[in-house]
Amino acid sequence: MDKKYCAYLCSGCGIGDALDMDALAEVVTGEMSMDCKTADCFCGTDGRALIEADVGEGVNTVVVGACSPRVMKNEFDFGDGTITLRANLREQVVWAEDKPAEDEEPHAEAAEFLNETAADYMRMACTQAQKTELPEPHKLENLSRKILVMGGGIAGLTAAREAAAAGYEVTLIEKDDKLGGKANDWRQSFPTKSPWTDLEDNPVAAMISEVEGDSNITIKTSTEVARIAGGPGAFRVTMKAAGTETEWDAPAKVTGEERELIEKGEMENPNASLVDYMEADPNAEIHGAVVMATGWVPADVSEYEHLGYGAIKNVVTNVEFEKLAKEGKVPANVAFVQSPGGKDHDMDFPYCNSVTSMVALKQAQYVCEDNDEGKAYLLYQHMRTPGSQELYYKAAQQNDGIFMTKAAVTKVEENGDKLKVTAENTLLGEDLDLDVDMVVLAAGMVPTTKEEDTINLAYRQGPAFIDLDLFDGYADSHFICFPYETRRTGVYTCGGVRKAETIDEAIDDATGAALKAIQCLESTDRGVSVHPRSGDKTWPDFFMQRCTQCKRCTEECPFGALDDDEKGTPLPNNTRCRRCGTCMGSCPERIIGFTDYNIDLIGSMIKSVEVPEDDDDRLRVVVFVCENDAYPALDMAGMRGNGVNHMVRFIPVRCLGSVNMAWIRDALSAGMDGAMLLGCTYGDDYQCHFVKGSEIANKRMENIGETLSTLGLESERCATQQVAITDYDKIPQIVNDFVEEIVEMGPNPFKGF
Amino acid sequence: MNVQPDLDFIKHLKGAGGDALKKCYQCATCSVRCPLSSDDNPFPRKEMIWSSWGMKDKLVADPDVYLCHNCGDCTTYCPRGAKPSEVLGAIRSYAYTMYGWPAGLAKLATSAKNLPVLIGIPVVVIFVMWLISGGMHIPSREEFGTYGYQHFFGHWEFKWYAKNIFFIVLIMASSLAIAGFSLYKGVTKMWKTMSDNADIGSAYRPSVIQFVSQFLWPSLVEIVKHNRFKECTTNTDRVRGHLPLMLAFIGLAIVTTYSLVKNDIVGLFWPAAHGPMYFFDPFKILANVSAIALLFGIYVLWVSRTKTEAAGESSRTFYDWFLIWQIAAVGVTGLGSELLRWLSLPAVGYIVYFCHLVAVMMLFLYLPYTKFAHIAYRTVAMAFEKYRDSSFGKPAVEQ
Repeated sequence: MDKKYCAYLCSGCGIGDALDMDALAEVVTGEMSMDCKTADCFCGTDGRALIEADVGEGVNTVVVGACSPRVMKNEFDFGDGTITLRANLREQVVWAEDKPAEDEEPHAEAAEFLNETAADYMRMACTQAQKTELPEPHKLENLSRKILVMGGGIAGLTAAREAAAAGYEVTLIEKDDKLGGKANDWRQSFPTKSPWTDLEDNPVAAMISEVEGDSNITIKTSTEVARIAGGPGAFRVTMKAAGTETEWDAPAKVTGEERELIEKGEMENPNASLVDYMEADPNAEIHGAVVMATGWVPADVSEYEHLGYGAIKNVVTNVEFEKLAKEGKVPANVAFVQSPGGKDHDMDFPYCNSVTSMVALKQAQYVCEDNDEGKAYLLYQHMRTPGSQELYYKAAQQNDGIFMTKAAVTKVEENGDKLKVTAENTLLGEDLDLDVDMVVLAAGMVPTTKEEDTINLAYRQGPAFIDLDLFDGYADSHFICFPYETRRTGVYTCGGVRKAETIDEAIDDATGAALKAIQCLESTDRGVSVHPRSGDKTWPDFFMQRCTQCKRCTEECPFGALDDDEKGTPLPNNTRCRRCGTCMGSCPERIIGFTDYNIDLIGSMIKSVEVPEDDDDRLRVVVFVCENDAYPALDMAGMRGNGVNHMVRFIPVRCLGSVNMAWIRDALSAGMDGAMLLGCTYGDDYQCHFVKGSEIANKRMENIGETLSTLGLESERCATQQVAITDYDKIPQIVNDFVEEIVEMGPNPFKGF
Repeated sequence: MNVQPDLDFIKHLKGAGGDALKKCYQCATCSVRCPLSSDDNPFPRKEMIWSSWGMKDKLVADPDVYLCHNCGDCTTYCPRGAKPSEVLGAIRSYAYTMYGWPAGLAKLATSAKNLPVLIGIPVVVIFVMWLISGGMHIPSREEFGTYGYQHFFGHWEFKWYAKNIFFIVLIMASSLAIAGFSLYKGVTKMWKTMSDNADIGSAYRPSVIQFVSQFLWPSLVEIVKHNRFKECTTNTDRVRGHLPLMLAFIGLAIVTTYSLVKNDIVGLFWPAAHGPMYFFDPFKILANVSAIALLFGIYVLWVSRTKTEAAGESSRTFYDWFLIWQIAAVGVTGLGSELLRWLSLPAVGYIVYFCHLVAVMMLFLYLPYTKFAHIAYRTVAMAFEKYRDSSFGKPAVEQ
């Protein structure tokens, strides 16, 4: 594209009062050789009209020096054919000026400092404009709009129904020989409407017949997924009869090192009997997206010997009791044990949750419904009835025949033809023993992904979702922000596999997952990113001639977007890609980049910053800021007038994972005195939008610190900080403290070389 | 502790004002709020869960249930609307019936449905007595002016003992005797269970003198002074009613005792001691002041009860109202009889006086089974509390 540039400097919102606008315009027109126009309100009708007129006359690359790129997005959008870049002069320069304390004199050169900072931001924005190209979306030739739903329980039925209702073809596969899943055995279901006190008819039968009568839905019972290869828009799904083994089963994960060992014959190939993961199954059915609703299995409770499950006849699990209740009358005296810890601890059964609490309340109600003198004892350490479910709890409490107490159940034993339950630490103030006919243990709901791969992907990074131990095996990736997203683009989980849910919740959840699957299909069809950079048209371009097959990108990609060939050459799957750039950050050969975000572009921006020599008041520190949380937090800090040291230059990045260490080298060799990475929290409670980015960046920075030491530079010149979007009040201090450390260290000794 | 919840007991409590008892979620706001609850034996949190678990045996012998003065603080502050004070009231009503003797009569006094019978019994008894006594006629104005109601049950020329007194003592003393016996049985049974539950050993027991001087007398002093009642700060209204009412009963008891001594003992030797008291007789003044205090007290309680019921802070139960009605009836008919005597209206006077006798007999006869029984049970519970905290109240091993 032939670029015609023009820069626009806005003097509104206090920018013009604080900065020497003419000098700034001279920087643009002079150093950067771009036309430059100044007005006092470019986001207003007149200002916008001015830019639009220029665009009409051929300007196709617009640089706006005004407010943060996070605001006025529509005002500064000049259509698909126009590149627009923003220099954040307002939030991060003028509003973020580090003002002196009340009793201090301002620095004699304060005004100059501010002008220099603004000039650098304009230089960076203009450089970015010169280096940015318009992206060409990556589109699939053959995109399938069919959605695969795995699991025919409540969640699967709902996802199939909702996707079909939205006009999409659905394949619904179920391992069992009939649809319905666990809910087939439920006698009644929880209240779903005001007053939240009455049990309702089990909806599963009606849902099955609705799905069976839907012409958009193909049902395959007694069927399992052998493997799923490919990516969104073109998943190659190989199915098999449930419970069988085939050569198309998903291969186990083999790391790069293991692969070498296997080649040398030093290790047995775990996938010897299986077809290679890259081989395409000619019989595979192509689907565009996957909804995984494989549900849960009841937890094993036989390990708690004092409760007698398996040894004493009338000790049953909640699932077994529900079946009894569905088939007929339940006994008149029943104890419901929610927590197995006895005197040792107050933990509930593993995988217990609000649903098992609700189940106990429901089953206690069966006891009173089926028997005139029915008595149900609920012995719990915790009752969890969130939201409106609390009203059901209250109603159960009002039932004369339901007796609840917090209790440590120490023993269940046979006592004639009855059972004796002994409990301590009760609310009644004394130890209890109860004579009952039956004891019901609250077995938890273990997600199917806890023990098995379940999704069975034929991916370079292995068949299962990774790092699920962070979520106790639930197929979830980032609970708060993106409930449906897994670490595999195009696969959306719902129902019991994602979180223990009631029928009502599972229906909501599955509806959401179906919509996410549709969103994925439609975004893939337009060749844009699905999530979280929804609508991003760029994609990582690999300059393969220079690839050294180091496999870092394939291993580090948080989403398993990259497969590879036998030699280890990466094979990108753009429809799996989330455009975080972690591959770009990982590549030592710097061969990966996006049209508007690449090694050269950011490197040039760094180099465009003016680095004065021999001036201790004018050190330069570059800070790479994650644009998901840290950058908006900086904007907020600016809005609150929290000052940032004038020596700092911020550069937004897609994710810290995309920060290539070449940039740190660029910065230090350009004479800058320090470099810092501001990104999201990582670890068990990570907040990284791309899951692993900030963690990986931290490791890389540790390594580069070591490299610096060997060069005789202080490793402390490079730092990483974890911040959250709510840390706007702390971030300026964090940055300023870092600058102070650098000032104490003195200027970069390589300055000027 | 083996627990066998008593579903009927729960139903009873729910029907007797404790309808919300199962709402309790054991936060103990009630125990913290209660001005009478002690640190060592807080209530009514534990009573609430015992109730919702139908633990009847524990509750009827729980002194704390009787120590409660029903101020309603717990109910006002209960975050769940479980109305603990109503539950405790319901437990007390259940206990009075359960301890009551004879059981049939006790049961009878629990329901408004039985009111015709409850009123019918004294009506028939007194009416039959009236017939038997031979006094059954409405006196002339002159006769009424001279003797008042002194010839209600007729008159005989036996100077040492008046016929009227004979009949009244016959009716009222028998009623009181039945009530007294019933209360004695109930209270001793309760005491024993309370001792057992508190695990108090029997190696050392107080003598009667010790018991009265250390436990009973201090409790009575407390009761007369309304010390605990006054601690219920939300209860100032009810203290204003209950205190005059109690003093009125004491006053009337003194007057009755004086009259009994004067007529039945002194009268034996000095026949002139018979006959109505003069208006300015100090005892007559005490009687009239007491009557007015009684009416004032019951009026205050009536209004207060109506108010809390309207505010939803207490439930409208027969148990509570029966006693209020009974006392009101005694007061109104008593004072009414006196006024009618001054007005010299013998026919109306006799009818009202008849009603007064009926009301008094009801109060006496049903005393152990109605709310009035608190006079004995609460006193005993207060004495027990002091006993439990004394050196006698140690468990067997420590003794």
